[in-house]
Amino acid sequence: MPAPCQWIRSVLAAYLDGELKSSTARAVRRHLERCESCRAHARLLRESWRLLDEVPPRPAHAGFTERMMARIVEEKDLSALASRLRPHELRRQAVASVLGLAAGLVFGFAVYSWTGLPQEAGGPVEREVSRNVSFLEDADLLDEMAVIEAMERLMSPDDAADGA
Amino acid sequence: MAKAAVAVARSYEREGRRGAAADYDVGLMLAFQKGSELSFQELVERNHGRVIGLIYRFISDSSDAEDLAQEVFLRIYRARKTYKPTAKFSTWMFRITANVSLNALRSRANRRDDVSIDQMSDFGDGPRAMPDPDSSLPDVRLHQRELQEKVQEAIRALPEKQQVAVILNKYEGMSYADIARTIGCTTMAVKSLLARARDNLKDRLLLYIQTGRGRQPVS
Repeated sequence: MPAPCQWIRSVLAAYLDGELKSSTARAVRRHLERCESCRAHARLLRESWRLLDEVPPRPAHAGFTERMMARIVEEKDLSALASRLRPHELRRQAVASVLGLAAGLVFGFAVYSWTGLPQEAGGPVEREVSRNVSFLEDADLLDEMAVIEAMERLMSPDDAADGA
Repeated sequence: MAKAAVAVARSYEREGRRGAAADYDVGLMLAFQKGSELSFQELVERNHGRVIGLIYRFISDSSDAEDLAQEVFLRIYRARKTYKPTAKFSTWMFRITANVSLNALRSRANRRDDVSIDQMSDFGDGPRAMPDPDSSLPDVRLHQRELQEKVQEAIRALPEKQQVAVILNKYEGMSYADIARTIGCTTMAVKSLLARARDNLKDRLLLYIQTGRGRQPVS
């Protein structure tokens, strides 16, 4: 297809719709007078466009406005209901959040108590012993020293007499 | 009806406002924004015919057209607080109408996909699809109906933006500039959309054009 025809066809729809500037429209008109092929193309575009008139318009629906306004009333009722529910819903959510938080704290404390402090059970002496790990490591040695000291006391009569 | 809207619209006229501000429907919408429910009612009364007509062009189903038109006006109702009169009221209303219609077409297409899968194991639809030999419709009416269906099919087969541009241009008589504002693109883009759309329509309806009257397909 020659270049001028290509250009004409790209603007032909706008030409038929009266959407071209007057100078461009004049150029298209002049080309169509000379070019049989573009004229045929324009006729097909015009005829196919005219076929769209075969679909009849839809008549307006009687009573539409009344039905629409009834729906608007429903819409307003719904939004009013929603706004009435909103503070109650917020209160309900706040109470649920506080209860949830409290339950979480209790549960967390219970778990921590059960898993984190088993060695610290018992009285203050045991707790002190369990904290002083180096003392526990030397326990055997200290035990032996106590035995040695007792034997030394038995073997020394002076000391035994003093003690009596 | 809607005295407030009339007052707003008249004040615009006195002030010599043009475009969106001189639009009577814009006046109604602004009065509605200030609390006049009657203005909204008048908006519905004045525009529902065009909205239903436009929806029908998109979906070709009058039973759904009213529900969808209600959806359009409901969106307008809900948008009253944020509405700004930056364009003609009809431009805004048609944009909402086109969106609602295209959404309906998309969901209908999805449903049809589901149904067609279900029907693959169902033989019940065959006989109903056959033409009725005892039909009392005259040939002319049959051809007329067939032609209407072909035209609607051809429009529906267009890509969405072309479809919207064709319907607004052909059936609402909107200029390229107004269509551009409605669908949110440039006038040049509309020119290109409509050029391609008209070429597509010509190709799809070629059989019905060549008879000269567009009444019967060439056999």
